[in-house]
Parts: sequence; C-alpha cells; structure tokens
Amino acid sequence: MKGIILAGGRGTRLRPITHTGPKQLVPVANKPVLEYAIEDLKDAGITEIGVVLGNLGREAIQQHLGDCSEYGVEITYIIQGNPLGLAHAAGCAREFVGDDDFVMYLGDNILDNGVVELVESFEAGDYAAGIALQRVANPEQFGVADVDENGNVLKLVEKPDDPPSNLALIGMYVFSPAIFDAIETLEPSWRGELEITDAIQSLLQDGHAIDSHVVEGWWKDTGKPEDILEANRLVLETIDDTRNGTIETNAEISGTIDLAESATIESGAVVRGPVSIAEGTTIKSDTYVGPFTSIGKDCEVEHTHIENSVIIGESEVSASGKIVDSLIGRNAQVKSAEGLLPEGRRLVVGENSNLKL
Amino acid sequence: MRIITHTCPDCGTVVAANELEKNRVMKCPRLDCNTVLRFEDLPDSEREHFLEHRDQYQI
Ligand SMILES: [Zn+2]
Repeated sequence: MKGIILAGGRGTRLRPITHTGPKQLVPVANKPVLEYAIEDLKDAGITEIGVVLGNLGREAIQQHLGDCSEYGVEITYIIQGNPLGLAHAAGCAREFVGDDDFVMYLGDNILDNGVVELVESFEAGDYAAGIALQRVANPEQFGVADVDENGNVLKLVEKPDDPPSNLALIGMYVFSPAIFDAIETLEPSWRGELEITDAIQSLLQDGHAIDSHVVEGWWKDTGKPEDILEANRLVLETIDDTRNGTIETNAEISGTIDLAESATIESGAVVRGPVSIAEGTTIKSDTYVGPFTSIGKDCEVEHTHIENSVIIGESEVSASGKIVDSLIGRNAQVKSAEGLLPEGRRLVVGENSNLKL
Repeated sequence: MRIITHTCPDCGTVVAANELEKNRVMKCPRLDCNTVLRFEDLPDSEREHFLEHRDQYQI
C-alpha cells in the first residue's frame, strides 16, 4: 500500500494567510496540517508517500518536509501543475503507484481517527476502491453515497436535491490500480476538472465493488480561517500535557499545556489550557492565554487577553483588550494604540484581510 | 482523458505534461535535484497527443 497526499490548490479562502505560503503548511496546534496526513498514513503502515504539488507552494512544502527521514517515510514529489482535478492528481501518480493499492488523502484535511480503519475495511474484501463517509446534517451540499447494508457503494451523487442518504464523501479514499483505467475514460467536467467521483462512478458501472467506511470521529477540511480555529480546538482537546518550558513562580497555570522547552510563561501571566506554546515564545506578565489557543514559535504576548485563537509565529501581540476567535499570520504586530495622538486605531492591513474592530 | 507524465531519471520526481510543455526546458522541480527535464523527453506519441488536445490540459 502506498499513499498520495494532495497538496496543491491556491488556498484562496485562507487569504491573506495563503498569500505567503500554501494552506497545507498552516499550523493546527502548532503543527502544519500536512504533517497530520503524513502521520496518519504512517500509522496505517504506509511509508512510501507521493506528495502532489500544484503551481503554488512547491518550494515551501519541499523545504518543510525536507527528505522526510525524521518522519520515517520516503517522499516522492508529483508535480501536477495546473489544477485539473482530483482524478488528474491521482492519474499523475500512476507510475509512482505501479501495481500497488494506495490511499489518497487531501492534504488540507484532518481526521480524528486517521485512516487505519478505512484501509482495513478496504483490505477485508475484493474492492476496486474504498471511500470514507461521514454523516452530515446537510447532505445536499456534498457528494453523497448510497450504500447497502454491508457498506457496498451503490451510487454516488454530487450535491443532490434529493439525497439518498446523509453519508457525505470526505477527502479520503483507497484505490486499487483499476482507478487509473477509469480515470483515462473520463472527460473534464463543466468546471474543466477530472472528477474523482466520476472515476469511482465509472468503476461501479464496470461492475467493480466499492467499499465504504463511515468515519465516526471528527473530520475537518481546513479551507477557511474558522475551520483552522475549529480544527485547532479539536486537536488541542487531545494533546498531552508536556510542560517542558519555563514556568515562573506566580504564573497561574491550569488545564493541559503543551509548552516547548525554550518557551516561557512569566510570573503574573495566566494560562488556561488546553493551550500549545511553541519554541522561543514568551507569555509575559499581565497576560491571559485562554483555552484553545496555539501560539507559534518566537512570539511575545503581553498585556493581552487571548483565547480560542491561533498565532502562527514570530509575532508580537501586546494590544490591551480581548482577542478571540482570531488567526494571526506570521510576523504580525498587534499592539495598543493607547496614548497615541490623534486617538484612533492604526492599521497596515494586507489584501484580503478581515478585521472586526 | 489521457494523463501524461515524465519521471526525472535521477530523483523520481513525476512531472505532468502541462508543466513540461509550459516550460519546454526546466530544472527538475525537486529542490535538491539539478537534472534538466525537457518536453522533448516524452515519447513522440505522447507529445503529439498532448499538443492535439492541449486545451484539456489547461484550466
Ligand atoms: Zn529530479
């Protein structure tokens, strides 16, 4: 079994954060989203991984992953170039995959329970493909599967007006090499892409059995800022308490804290977990860091009340008042305007930013 | 739709035909590989197919 992780896309819904880097490297609980995919594949015993790259973020992703020896996996890069669809991305991996089965994992998705069960379910039968499904309240907004009582897929429908079930396709698949011939038969859809659901539908029409696995834990597509915050919250709920950094006396700490070795919580600061604080970061006195907050490397946070937020890294935050539900990009300065004349807020805001003052 | 790729002989990086055709001659996209890849490295039949159906490979 091999793995392919799709790491293309323009990340337009995550601007301005994605003006300077690919969405797959946005951190959730201080770890880039893409690393969760690699870890999940590794947990399923998959160590040969193809990372499909689009037109943007190629260098950044390669630089981040390096040779991947620290993960214990071997990475092959697959340059898809133009975003011609998920089935095109899979098709580009044909030579890499060879005669193996493979898991296809969307690199901006995070799954609570990984892909082990999906893979085991697929391997338990003679299937051409396996799809991960999740029960949703609004199936008309998803690709939806009609399945029989044994989990065999009968039909797939895209955003149906009259959904045959509430089981939505999420971005995880297992394929046998039969998918490649199915992809060759496809024509681009109305949006100019080769659709993976069309490829699976084509397998069904040719009489292949398709397995499904209903994912019970949470699943998050991290395409938008609010999704990053939600994924950050979900992951922080599961972290271990690792207080490796410095906690000065008279700092008030409670809950689960993931504190990196070179991070400091100064005397007079209040930190209520679950919270993750990365290397080189200092939480100064007179600061409150509340639950579900991740603060990246080399930040200074002072005089601020912050909760349910992600600070990506290398930032200074010292504004008085509360910061909640916020995503703060790298190397940002959020300071107080107090005492400055004329009175008023001072903003240098990038394109596609979103502020509520 | 036929998907055409070329694999770097030195590092195994796979490059889709649209990328090769756009650049004609390019450094392998893998950061630590300096091998030069060319659209002409593809077999004649694949190049002809790509050029005849070029629109399908653009978006
Ligand atoms: Zn190369």
